Amino acid sequence: MKKAFSELSHYMDVTWHVIKMAMMTIIEYPSNIAGWLISNPLQFIMGFAIIKFVVESFGEINGWNYGQLAFLYGISVISHALSMIFFVQGWFMGYYVIYGDFDRYLTRPLGVLYQFFFTNINVFGVTDLIPGILVFIYGCAKCEIKITLLFCIQVIVMLIGATLIRGGLYIFLGSTSFYTRSVVDFGQYTQEIMDKTTMYPISMYPESMQFILTYLIPIGWVSFYPVSSLLGISSGICDGLIVPFVTLLIGLVMMLISGAFFTRGLKKYESAGN
Amino acid sequence: MIKVENLSKDYLLKKKEPGLSGALKGLIKTEYKTIHAVDNLFFELGEGEIVGFIGPNGAGKSTTIKMMSGILTPTSGSVYIGGEDITKHRKEVVKNIGVVFGQRSQLNWDLRLGESFELLKHIYRIDRADYDNTLDVMDSILGIKELVDKPVRQMSLGQRVKGDLVAAMLHSPKVLFLDEPTIGLDVSSKFALRTFIKEINKIKKTTIILTTHDLGDIQELCERLIIINHGVMMEDGNLSQIIDRIAPYKTLVVEYYDEEAPEHERCELVEHTDNIAKYKFMKKETTAAEIIADLSKQKNIKDVSIEEAGIDDIIKIAYGS
Repeated sequence: MKKAFSELSHYMDVTWHVIKMAMMTIIEYPSNIAGWLISNPLQFIMGFAIIKFVVESFGEINGWNYGQLAFLYGISVISHALSMIFFVQGWFMGYYVIYGDFDRYLTRPLGVLYQFFFTNINVFGVTDLIPGILVFIYGCAKCEIKITLLFCIQVIVMLIGATLIRGGLYIFLGSTSFYTRSVVDFGQYTQEIMDKTTMYPISMYPESMQFILTYLIPIGWVSFYPVSSLLGISSGICDGLIVPFVTLLIGLVMMLISGAFFTRGLKKYESAGN
Repeated sequence: MIKVENLSKDYLLKKKEPGLSGALKGLIKTEYKTIHAVDNLFFELGEGEIVGFIGPNGAGKSTTIKMMSGILTPTSGSVYIGGEDITKHRKEVVKNIGVVFGQRSQLNWDLRLGESFELLKHIYRIDRADYDNTLDVMDSILGIKELVDKPVRQMSLGQRVKGDLVAAMLHSPKVLFLDEPTIGLDVSSKFALRTFIKEINKIKKTTIILTTHDLGDIQELCERLIIINHGVMMEDGNLSQIIDRIAPYKTLVVEYYDEEAPEHERCELVEHTDNIAKYKFMKKETTAAEIIADLSKQKNIKDVSIEEAGIDDIIKIAYGS
């Protein structure tokens, strides 16, 4: 117990130091800040504007009205931003595998996955967070949601779960590079799929697709199912207060599975010749 | 300090057939060939030893070092560092090792060198007093403090390697692995690096394992050499022992006043051009002085010199076999 606590405080200490270093790096290149501050929010605000346009033209999407869609969109962008802060490095795992960049992590007395994600923590991801929160608040207002303690807990639990599902997926896809010994550059494609399946209700897709997104690749649980339950829309699979906690559970299971897949892959790691 | 037992690493290599038809065939049915990159190594290293791993490119040196430092998982065998197996308790054992791998840096490119050191201070939980103390020692050997405030991206290769060496030594590891540390360095940087290796070995009793292609490194640093080729250990011993074993001869070069060169019964006339004759003799059987004395009785000698088998001959012979 004491050992576990000391271990945890060690990881927290390193994490805090790494975050400070990441901020120093940002300050080192101030011109990047301006670029990100302009382009990132713009991207999401335009995405939201498209939804607004579609809803205003057709009335609603698959029974979801404008406020509900804003709520869903906001949650999707927030969990996307969180996964970008902590797990974006997973997109580039293939390069680390092929170019032998895991060497450095393996010779240090900390977990390899922890170092891989946290020594590359992307503090810039915060710029994605802001438009997400704005749209989410807007959606809450439109849906006239009463902010209770339970609601706050549900939202936080759901966001943690959603971030873990996304992160787990990145780890899993990235780890395939250990087995194929080639760079799997999946970032762009996954992003496209994620956007289309978490920003809109998946009930609008064919049933086979819904089945895949619910049971095989559990992206449906990132935003669609928990948001449905929070808004009182029946998803037909799982309703009630419990759904955000199911999201968290699925996130943890995803992490465990992909963590094991990574660890097994790491044993096959071949480094790179110098 | 280090015990390597039965250490092997196999790679599976896809067999490729030529041409498009071969490539298509490979897609449907893949045949694999097993490559023994490292084959059944056994050796032990004591505290404070400096050991050079040498061998041609692709001989398995780097693979061996990477298995010893926890980077690669061996196909079979164990590596004990301070009594614990690194393949089983990586996180524990790596606290006792430091690693510098040639061209690859562990320093943060964007920030001043000191920030990389600070991060390592947190990762290895080094307390402030030890940290300051180690930096003082490093400063006295390498003059690292004048580099601490410089951003790593603005450093020369020599300065960066210095930074990497200090980074690897901050937590005072018992074992330091150096994979081709002097590659690409100029003469004065090489000198500084060798001095550093000798000094920390003396002050901290650090066991040092290095791979190198640089004959100067071997001559200056390595009390013990392990020669590896095709993943197999060819030689293990100190430099002069290995020279005696592989090349137990010297060559005597004699310059005469004319083109005639006499033979001698205890050595072999291996080369004879114009006025110069080369005699090869076994160190055990005779001495150069004896041969010179005998030869000078038969002819007038203008000049003599002696060629010894050097490290490069050793390497040529060892690699060739």
